[in-house]
Amino acid sequence: MAARIAQLSLFGVAIIIGLLLVGQLRSQARPIELSSLTAQELSVLVETLSARNVELADGLADLIEQIRDYEISQARGQSEVVLTAEDLERVRAFGGLLGIEGQGLRLEVEGSFDPTAINDLINELRNAGADAIAIDDIRITARSVAVLGTDAIEIDGQPIGRTFQIRAIGSPEGLRAAIERPGGILALLQQSVDARFSTTEERALEIPPTRRDLVPQAASPVE
Amino acid sequence: MSRRLAARPRLNRPQWALSIGAALAVIGFVGAAQWNSSIARQEFITSAQRVLISEAQQAQSQQESLRSQIEEAEAQVRGFQEQAEGSATLSTRLSEQVATARLATGLEAVRGPGAVVEIADSQRPVPADENASNYIVLVDDLRDLITALWASGAEAITVAGGGGAGGPGERLVSTTSIYGAGSAILINTTLLSPPYRIEAIGPDGLHDRFLAHPSYITRVAKRIDAYGLQFASEPRDELTLPAFIGNTRLRWGAPVAEAN
Repeated sequence: MAARIAQLSLFGVAIIIGLLLVGQLRSQARPIELSSLTAQELSVLVETLSARNVELADGLADLIEQIRDYEISQARGQSEVVLTAEDLERVRAFGGLLGIEGQGLRLEVEGSFDPTAINDLINELRNAGADAIAIDDIRITARSVAVLGTDAIEIDGQPIGRTFQIRAIGSPEGLRAAIERPGGILALLQQSVDARFSTTEERALEIPPTRRDLVPQAASPVE
Repeated sequence: MSRRLAARPRLNRPQWALSIGAALAVIGFVGAAQWNSSIARQEFITSAQRVLISEAQQAQSQQESLRSQIEEAEAQVRGFQEQAEGSATLSTRLSEQVATARLATGLEAVRGPGAVVEIADSQRPVPADENASNYIVLVDDLRDLITALWASGAEAITVAGGGGAGGPGERLVSTTSIYGAGSAILINTTLLSPPYRIEAIGPDGLHDRFLAHPSYITRVAKRIDAYGLQFASEPRDELTLPAFIGNTRLRWGAPVAEAN
């Protein structure tokens, strides 16, 4: 009887140790440690998350409208060709397969850039909500990254000179505020790569489609 | 004839008492450590931070709801377009073109060969005179790894937090930014935490090209060596990556009609 009690006690103790150890190990891992962020970092994060949610809500509203249009079209016995053609344009423009026009920001850039600096600049413009970006005549797609080529920095196999132009379609004021904020990307790059920037808010910009074939060769759709 | 069972050896009382005692000591130690670490975390959160954390959590749950509604609505739109297939030549052709465009732009789930890369915070103790942030995965590390994969020929990439245990990962598209706020990393609209798992589909040799690419070697590989960031990568014969879920509407621009 005593041995049985001892075994049960040991079993119980082992379970408690196991649970505590797992808890301790998990607390050592780094989950999304919001509590470790400073008030300033949290404030930026909340602002960013809220802005993204507004974008998502706008996108959802457009989708709901699109669904309604399809339903009306079906109810009236009309063809959905026009609606599908519009959707095709939208998808192609989103991914960089079609040119885009609209308001935005133009940056004239000069400096001894490294590829990372250019990639950081692109990332910052995306983060500020740019719909589309081009560097000189190169449309930036998901797969476009600046790398060190044989003689110069290249994006999608095309060289970038010491002086280049970036065009971004988006809120002109929003894009400008995001990159020109104190301690922001332009301030950092002015220090780190000795770069000079001139920014202009534009009411009418045009960005070309990519020249790259983006249809994947190794990846195939999941049926 | 009765047969007596052999007497079972009795557990020596002092022996098991010692075992229990030792186990209880371990429980006490681990329990105290856990209690202390939770107290330490609580102590440094100000009331302003608490409000902001709550707002961030609300924004995250609102985002989850919006994303799931978008996913449903996208499926409905695709349903309408697929119904049109076979109904007329023009409709069929358009539907095929939409499918191809979605495939090329990350709006379709894909499968194929590729590479998996995982990176997590260092488990080395941080020396007293060193910056603790050197020992955690930074947003620049993720950006470098992703740049190296794209430059090595990747055709589709996803990034998942929690080593992939938290979900299928965020598909990278033309509008994706990889944004760091302190130790938190936001990709598309989702906050991710380490370990980060990057899955990339691409042509043969993707993994080898990735490991030899300057965007990997120049900075992140050095940080892995210097600070003991946990890192693993391997080629895979087959990966399945989800479609991007999020806003695909242009908010500030309009498509330019193609000149035929």
